[in-house]
Amino acid sequence: MADLALDGAPKERSTIEKVWGKVVGISRRSPTSIIGFVIILFFGFLALLAPLLMPYDPIAANPNLILSGPSAAHWFGTDGNGMDVFSRVIFGSRFAFGIAIPVVIIALSIGIPIGLYSGYKGGNIDEAIMRVVDAFRVFPSIILALAVVAAAGPSLLNVVLVIGILDAPIFVRVVRAEVLALRSSSFVESGLIVGNPTWRILFVHLLPNAIQGAMAQTAVRAAWAVRISATLAFLGIGIQPPTPEWGAMIRQGAEFMVNGQWWVGIFPGVALILMVLGFNMFGDGLQDLLDPKRRSGGK
Amino acid sequence: MLMRRLVLAIPLLIGILFFTFMLIRLGGQDPVGLLAGPTATTEEIEIVRAELGLDKPLFTQFWLFLGDVVQGDIGKSWISNRSVTLDILERIPITLELLLWGVALGSVIGVPVGLRAAFRHDKWFDHISRGISLLGFSIPTYFLALLLLFVFFFLLGWSPPGMGRISLLISPPPTVTGSYLIDGLLAGDLEVARSAVAQLILPIIAVAIISAAPIVKHTRAIALEIISSDFVRFARASGLPSEKVSRIVLKNSSTPVTTFIGTELTGLVGSVSLIEFVFAWGGVGQYGLNAIIRGDFAAVQGYVLFLALFSLVVFIIVDLLVLVLEPRAVAE
Amino acid sequence: MSLLQVRDLHTHFISRNLDNEIRIAKALNGVSFEVSRGEVLGLVGETGAGKSLTAYSVMDLLKPPAKVVGGTVEFDGRNLRDLEAEDMNKLRGSEIAMVVQNPRSSLDPLTRVGEQLIRVHTAHTDTSESAARARAIEKLGAVGIPAPEQRMRAWPHELSGGMAQRVLIAMALMNEPKLIIADEPTTGLDVTVQAQILDLLRELVVTHNVAAMVITHDLGIVAHYCNRMAVMFAGRIVETGDVETVFDNPSHPYTRTLIASTPERLKEGKQKVLGGGAPPNLYNLPPGCHYVERCRFADESCNKPLSLDQVGDGHFAMCTRLDAVREGWPS
Repeated sequence: MADLALDGAPKERSTIEKVWGKVVGISRRSPTSIIGFVIILFFGFLALLAPLLMPYDPIAANPNLILSGPSAAHWFGTDGNGMDVFSRVIFGSRFAFGIAIPVVIIALSIGIPIGLYSGYKGGNIDEAIMRVVDAFRVFPSIILALAVVAAAGPSLLNVVLVIGILDAPIFVRVVRAEVLALRSSSFVESGLIVGNPTWRILFVHLLPNAIQGAMAQTAVRAAWAVRISATLAFLGIGIQPPTPEWGAMIRQGAEFMVNGQWWVGIFPGVALILMVLGFNMFGDGLQDLLDPKRRSGGK
Repeated sequence: MLMRRLVLAIPLLIGILFFTFMLIRLGGQDPVGLLAGPTATTEEIEIVRAELGLDKPLFTQFWLFLGDVVQGDIGKSWISNRSVTLDILERIPITLELLLWGVALGSVIGVPVGLRAAFRHDKWFDHISRGISLLGFSIPTYFLALLLLFVFFFLLGWSPPGMGRISLLISPPPTVTGSYLIDGLLAGDLEVARSAVAQLILPIIAVAIISAAPIVKHTRAIALEIISSDFVRFARASGLPSEKVSRIVLKNSSTPVTTFIGTELTGLVGSVSLIEFVFAWGGVGQYGLNAIIRGDFAAVQGYVLFLALFSLVVFIIVDLLVLVLEPRAVAE
Repeated sequence: MSLLQVRDLHTHFISRNLDNEIRIAKALNGVSFEVSRGEVLGLVGETGAGKSLTAYSVMDLLKPPAKVVGGTVEFDGRNLRDLEAEDMNKLRGSEIAMVVQNPRSSLDPLTRVGEQLIRVHTAHTDTSESAARARAIEKLGAVGIPAPEQRMRAWPHELSGGMAQRVLIAMALMNEPKLIIADEPTTGLDVTVQAQILDLLRELVVTHNVAAMVITHDLGIVAHYCNRMAVMFAGRIVETGDVETVFDNPSHPYTRTLIASTPERLKEGKQKVLGGGAPPNLYNLPPGCHYVERCRFADESCNKPLSLDQVGDGHFAMCTRLDAVREGWPS
């Protein structure tokens, strides 16, 4: 029917047109998410190709070249040990991803089951779980992370574990809220009537529907993980210098900054900001795209 | 509602104390070794252990500790060798001075920007302010503080070095409130007050920037929700001029925004600690961070207790404010 | 001469999806109707038919992505679509007043009832505060609120739903409007309160000589309180006429289905003839009649463009199969 085409029915598009259309469509709805994605991609590229991109060994000290400013040989200068800051900044991206990804996976794998169970069961169990989650929310997360890592002993594994566990309550809350909204819906009831066991209803029926809200949070949580792990390193708890981690590098650079040797601290700081910003922008856009409540429109 | 809040707070407080207590006892470091010193003999260590009651079972220890806390005795800091309660009490005004000025400035900037972004929804102002607030979310607190020092102290020379709350060349005023600025003014010593202000400016700006980002984001979200509410739609349908409609939006945003700033205040104590750390500010935050880093257990516990009590006080103040702002709350 | 004449009104929701394709939901597709002073027009139809959207289009209160893309709205000799935004705003709440559903949430929760009434009046006139106050008390009395002076100081959360709706009606009367648009004014209210509110509206139309348009999905309300009715389906008026005429001689199959499925008819033991089914996809409407997928009289001719045709005295219907419907309907 010729009329239908005029009525705005989807025309046939080639694959390239479709992909490009998607890119333009998403960036029109949420330009930040695309910028964020490009930044993450950039750092992912740095992390993957670090050995090829680094001009020097990131922990090779050159005692003849301590605190020399940016130059053709050392783009970002050298630090107090005579290590090449440029190479160290590039290598630092590996730590950022190496912490962010497992942290989010740990937080998800703790938060989602608890959130599902809490929201589905309700009653006293739910009440108790929510009290604990609230307590976490009241408390400044950085202090909590610091205290626990300090007590557990500063190692990369402890940092990842602690941050991951501390981040789980966020996902508990998100998933629980989604489950509460879904619990009374017909597909859950029909699942019960058919006689499905609880775990089946939780993971087969509720999870796929409740997971969107959790997914929308992942990028923002990754940003938080990168930020807080760097903070721990900056305070000297967690990853120790001369490991080329950005927070530890800023700690090294802090004392030189007010003396004029700014490059030691500024470059890793800028890298840290950029990467966190990338995750935050992507996450902000993700929330817009995945969370219908945040979408505007209608009358 | 207030009573309910207080009653609910007690198990929360005990829970937090228990958590930190266990964390410290089960953590890797042994407080006795630190207290007795590296040259102590095994017998001496055992004596210190018994003195501290650390030879008793954990739950008994916690019970005794709880009894002490109720009486205001949190223990002794091995860094300062003084009562933790005293240490913290005298540092509270120092931190509050920074926190309150900073959040006040952050709100003065953040609330109008958030409101304007909501009124200009999906326009340029909205997108740009959103981008800037995301940047604010992404800057690590301590790095921002370092950056401010680098630019305003080292490069421009406008600011004094970030070493404490008053120039090292000036002797502090007699303590009345604990704030050098206020005490200096009270003592009529303008030089002290001027130096205190000069030291305050950069850390306050740092707190303001860190606090403004979430304030912008949430004010915008709150105002957007009110703009799409039934009563604003009806006000438009009644042909009220747009200034009047805006005023309705502002008035109805005030309670949720106030509540948000209150809750944010409690979370910001953590970031402020980092700012204190960089500026050698010497408040509770820096005290707590040092305690955690160096394993000063009594001080850590005092700091954690302070954080919990502080958020409780803030929530009570917010509740009271809501009571003033909201006719509905009075009715309940 | 009618007070409000809406001709061929088209409102679309225009957006882009994530594939960057322009998507157009044709929510109103040539809506035409009129209302005169002293009469109540009932605009009736199922959810999503575009009833409220019609009201908001007339009032120029649409927000993107909704947009009026065609047609004229003539009110008291002016085409409202040509008015400047500011002039249109002066008209709202004064010459055209709205009574909405959810009265309790439509009142500003932080302002006393009296202040809200006064605010609407002083926004449109140069009256003094005290004169406006006296007027507000008078109007609260007129809508049957006991002890109006005391009620002036009430907060919206202290009012019941019915009371709040009376306040909204009093607010509508503050500026002596020519037209009152009531959008589902009694949804969510008790049945007895419903009757009181509608009686009041009906009475005010006569005493104040205003025109009223009541938007509802309840044919019972139309039968009891309206003079004329317009039946909406998928963004079009499919049948319009005097209430008695349409009820006695429903011509469009959709109108017939609606009438047949009112509780009263069902109680009378008449056969339940529900032509149920989903509303048509507004992104992809059929070329001719929109009801075609749910209509059991549909044939080839239904795919041709069609218009509101006269079927009786002041009675119009949009259907090419009128004869078949008349013969084929079980009585």
